[in-house]
Amino acid sequence: MKCYICAKEGKEMDAVAICIVCGMGVCMDHLVREEMEVWKGDYPFPSKKLKKTIPRIVCQICYSAYKED
Amino acid sequence: MSLSKRFLAELVGTFILVFFGPGAAAITLMIAKGSSPPNPFNIGIGALGGLGDWFAIGMAFALAISAVIYSIGRISGAHINPAVTIALWATKRFPSNEVAPYIVAQLIGASLGSILFFACVGIEAATVGGLGATAPFPGISYGQAILAEAIGTFLLMFVIMGVAVDQRAPPGFAGLVIGLTVGGIIVTIGNITGSSLNPARTFGPYLGDSLVGINLWQYFPIYIIGPIVGAVLAAFLYDYLAKE
Repeated sequence: MKCYICAKEGKEMDAVAICIVCGMGVCMDHLVREEMEVWKGDYPFPSKKLKKTIPRIVCQICYSAYKED
Repeated sequence: MSLSKRFLAELVGTFILVFFGPGAAAITLMIAKGSSPPNPFNIGIGALGGLGDWFAIGMAFALAISAVIYSIGRISGAHINPAVTIALWATKRFPSNEVAPYIVAQLIGASLGSILFFACVGIEAATVGGLGATAPFPGISYGQAILAEAIGTFLLMFVIMGVAVDQRAPPGFAGLVIGLTVGGIIVTIGNITGSSLNPARTFGPYLGDSLVGINLWQYFPIYIIGPIVGAVLAAFLYDYLAKE
């Protein structure tokens, strides 16, 4: 799979990841990798933040859309 | 989440429960004051709309409980009931060292609920409405009252186990279902024991009533023994039934 954003720019670059939101294949230059906090538990148990985070990879377009909020 | 934050959340949750639930019972008695109850079993609740009075009180509890579960359920677990905390501890789902702080928070919250309701309404909230305190109705013995409270709390805890504790339960329904379950239980058991199902819910109004010289503490063991026995039995029975 090739990077969609590179392809739009007329370049050809192998994708190294897939955006979890839109499914776009992205290269290292066009992805954003963030560590997400994970909370476990719901009524009647108090929620606990787990020590380990979960990595999430999104493309730059989805990332900027989320950050608009 | 720190224990102090969860302590505060339990306190606020139980405050909301006691302000709005027993508060609705007190208001019903105040509205009914002056009307003639048709028989000694009717102390005023029931003078307005028969069993509908209990339905209205039950709905006040249902909505308050739903609101608390949806608002602080993820913070403290929203037990707002020592019987629930003890049943979760008895089935090894809640740490021993947090049982006492939770119960203290629930008792303080319940007391504040009654005292602030009194502050909002005035002396008749206690002298007429009894601050919504629970007591066995005329003709109901101590043993019958304990049995009724145990059966009512059994159903409450059984539903909590099925709709919230069991990981196979569909998410999102616990607050609504548990609130409505308490409302339904109150419709039936309300005119037997007042349908406390919760030692803290009875403690708050008793303490508030004590401040104006009304002493109901002789009935308090009913609302400790019945709910705790019922809740613990329900938790163990559910575990037995749900096991493969």
